[in-house]
Amino acid sequence: MLYLELFLSFLLIGFTSFGGMSMIPLINEQMLSHGWMTTQEVADIVAIAEMTPGPLGLNCATFAGTRTGGILGAVSASLGVVIPSLTVAMLAAVFLTRFKESKLMGHALFGIRPVCIGMIAAIIVTQCESNYAGTLLFGVSWQAILIGIVALVLLMRFKWSVPRTIAVAAALGLILG
Amino acid sequence: MKSERSRRVLDIFVNFFRFGCFTFGGGWSIVAQIQKEYVEKKRWITDEELLDFTSVGRSIPGLMVGNASVLFGYQAAGIPGALVALLGVVLPPFLIMIAVTFIYGMVKDNVYVARAMMGVRAAVVPIIVSALVKLFKAGMKDAFCYIIALAALALCLFTPISNVLIVLLGAAAGLIYMEVKERHAVS
Repeated sequence: MLYLELFLSFLLIGFTSFGGMSMIPLINEQMLSHGWMTTQEVADIVAIAEMTPGPLGLNCATFAGTRTGGILGAVSASLGVVIPSLTVAMLAAVFLTRFKESKLMGHALFGIRPVCIGMIAAIIVTQCESNYAGTLLFGVSWQAILIGIVALVLLMRFKWSVPRTIAVAAALGLILG
Repeated sequence: MKSERSRRVLDIFVNFFRFGCFTFGGGWSIVAQIQKEYVEKKRWITDEELLDFTSVGRSIPGLMVGNASVLFGYQAAGIPGALVALLGVVLPPFLIMIAVTFIYGMVKDNVYVARAMMGVRAAVVPIIVSALVKLFKAGMKDAFCYIIALAALALCLFTPISNVLIVLLGAAAGLIYMEVKERHAVS
């Protein structure tokens, strides 16, 4: 049955991946082995996932589900990919809350927090590589850099919210692009 | 007490739905949005707790955005809070994606869509930077933290080591460092 297969396939993807681009090879393998999509179509989803909000895994699940089984297919696939959040993350939440006051937990978190800072910094570096690449001068896109600077000023200096900043960035993209 | 809980649950759903509409760039902008709404404005959680949710959410299987939403929602309003946070953050991308799938042929090579998206993508890095700046102090308490953060950055960028392992290494380093520090304080 298609819906069950979509659910199980994305359940597997959800449980064996850790978000972001690390999901692509798994999604590729699942889509090809079930004959749901071609390699070109998988590449297309990654491109559309860039255009739409939301985590890549969810975007892929919705796209693949809709393509193969309509709205119900999208629901089945998306449900599969969020099951880890409903189970593993829920248990982690209970665990974190229960041992929040524990001394050992505090010590472990003391080491985990700077790791998180480092991971966010790494995301910034990799996002820079993909978002500011261009064809002109030094292989960067001056329009993208300019929009980036404007967005940074709006966020940091004028305390703008994320939605407003994104709207202005999109408008600037239309004008300058 | 009961009404306070349901008020919170509603608040989480409304705000996470809003966050969900703007989670571009692999969803990392959700960290910036939670920081602004629930650390700065409403003070439901601290910067430290947000860092914990982010790193734990990133190091367990599944979608980081979904995991971080569940961790936040549970802390703020128990299991109902976790469920509505997840539903709220997932619903907008889900609905938008269904619509996009149907009109995919039209948007795929549309020059205006491409231009607007160039702008949106250019805003992703500033959004993450703004979150990083705010969370920096909460994560970096002394010189040890700087070493750990730089090591994590280098491992993420230059090695294929998974995030899970990096987070576990950080936890181990924290346990050892604090143990040594306490022994020194005693002796």
